[in-house]
Amino acid sequence: MIPKAVMDEWYPVAMASLIGAQGRQTQILGLPIRVFRQADGAIAVHGADGKALPVILRFGHVWVCPGTPAHDLFTVPEADQPGRRLVDCGVVRVKCSPLRAVENFLDIAHFPFVHTDILGAEPHTEVNRYEVQIREDSDEVWATKVHFYQPQAAKSAAGGIVTEYMYRVAAPTAAVLYKTCPARPGEWDVIGIFVQPLSEELCDVWPWMALYDDTTPMASLIQFQQMIFLQDRSILENQIPRLLPLDPGMEIPTQADLTSIAYRRWLKRKGLTYGAQMVAA
Amino acid sequence: MRLSHGFVRGESLNCIYHGWVYGANGGCSRIPAHPELVPPASIKAEVFSCAQANGVMFAGPAGATMDLPDLVGWRALRSMPFECSQQDLEQGLPGFAAVAPGRFEGKVTLGGTKAQLCLLVQELALGKRMVHALCGPQHDAVALSRWLEALRLRVEEEKAA
Repeated sequence: MIPKAVMDEWYPVAMASLIGAQGRQTQILGLPIRVFRQADGAIAVHGADGKALPVILRFGHVWVCPGTPAHDLFTVPEADQPGRRLVDCGVVRVKCSPLRAVENFLDIAHFPFVHTDILGAEPHTEVNRYEVQIREDSDEVWATKVHFYQPQAAKSAAGGIVTEYMYRVAAPTAAVLYKTCPARPGEWDVIGIFVQPLSEELCDVWPWMALYDDTTPMASLIQFQQMIFLQDRSILENQIPRLLPLDPGMEIPTQADLTSIAYRRWLKRKGLTYGAQMVAA
Repeated sequence: MRLSHGFVRGESLNCIYHGWVYGANGGCSRIPAHPELVPPASIKAEVFSCAQANGVMFAGPAGATMDLPDLVGWRALRSMPFECSQQDLEQGLPGFAAVAPGRFEGKVTLGGTKAQLCLLVQELALGKRMVHALCGPQHDAVALSRWLEALRLRVEEEKAA
C-alpha cells in the first residue's frame, strides 16, 4: 500500500520536448502510465485504467501527481531571469531508491573521491560547518552557507575556486542546488535533480539546469552533467541497504551529513516512506 | 558501501565514497571531511584473520588459528561464481571426489591429455557459490578455464527448476 502522502506529491515523468503523439510508456511508483501529446498540443498522462492524471509542465519537464495534489509544484524564480540558459540534460536510469538518488545529490563530502579533480580534490576534503533548516512556510529542507574548494566547479570556470552552495529539497524526489556562478559573480547557477520513482529500487534521474553561461556549447554542458551523474551511479547502485533508512542504526553521521539527516527526518515526519525502510540499518 | 569497493593506500583501506580511512585493526583513523576530528572508536569495521597458501586467500574469524588445507602441487587458476545449489554443482562433476568439505578433485580430459583439477567451493548465499579452481603447474590454464566455463553453463542450465 503506497501511503497517501506519497501519492499526493508531484513527480517528473518525461522531458516535454521529447513527447509526441506516440508518447512514452513509463511508470510511477510501480504504476504504469502513458505520457503523450494530444491533438490540441497539450501533454496528458493516463494511468493503466485510462484515467487522466493531474499534469504540470514546468522546468522543461512533465510532472504528474498519481493521487490528489496536496499543493502546487515548487517554483524556481531564477529560471525566469533573462539571459538564463535552461538545459534539459536527458535521463539517467539508476538501480537505486529514488530517495538515495536525492540524498547523494545533497552530499558534498564525496566530491574529492567520486568527482575527482572536477568537483573536488584531495587534500581539499574538509567540509566546513554550514547551516541547515526545515523551512516551515514552504515545508522544504534548506542548507545554506556551504563552502567547498573545487578544481573545476563548472564548465564556465577557468580554474579552481571556493564555491558557495545552497541546497534545497523542494519535493520528496526533487532537489535544487544553487552554486557560485563564475560568469556572473553575485548570481547563482541553478542545478536541479528531478527523480522519477519507477519503483522503490529503480528511478529515472532527470537533471536540469538554469545557468548564466553564454559561451559553452549546449552539448558540452549536458555532457558535463551526465558525466557527473554517471560517476554517482556507480556509488548509488552499490549502497546498502537498498532502501533509505529513516531510523538511526549502525550509521554514524558526522557534521558533514547535516543535510542528509534533515532530509531523512523530513521524509519520516511527512510519512514519505516509498523507497525507505523504517527499521534501523 | 562495502569497503571491498574501496582503495588501498599504504597500510589502510579507504572507503570509495567519502574516503574514510581504516587501519589494519579495523578502526577508522581519519574522516577526510573532518581532518581535525579523532574518529570515535565505535566507527570500526569487522576484522577477520586471513592467510595465503598457493595463491589462495583464506579468511576466518578474528583470533582463530587457521587449519589451512594442503595445496602443495596445485596452482591457483581462477575464481568463478556459479548460480546453483551445492547439489547441482556436485551433479555436474561426475568422477570428482569430495576429498574434504568444500573440496573436490578430479581428472578432466582436454584434447589428448588428462588434467587434474581441484575445486574449493565457497557458499556465498543460497543458490550462489564461488568456485576457486586450482590445477597442476604444467596444465594448459586457458583450456582448463574454458572447460570450467562450459561446466558452469551446463550446471546452470541443468539445475533443478
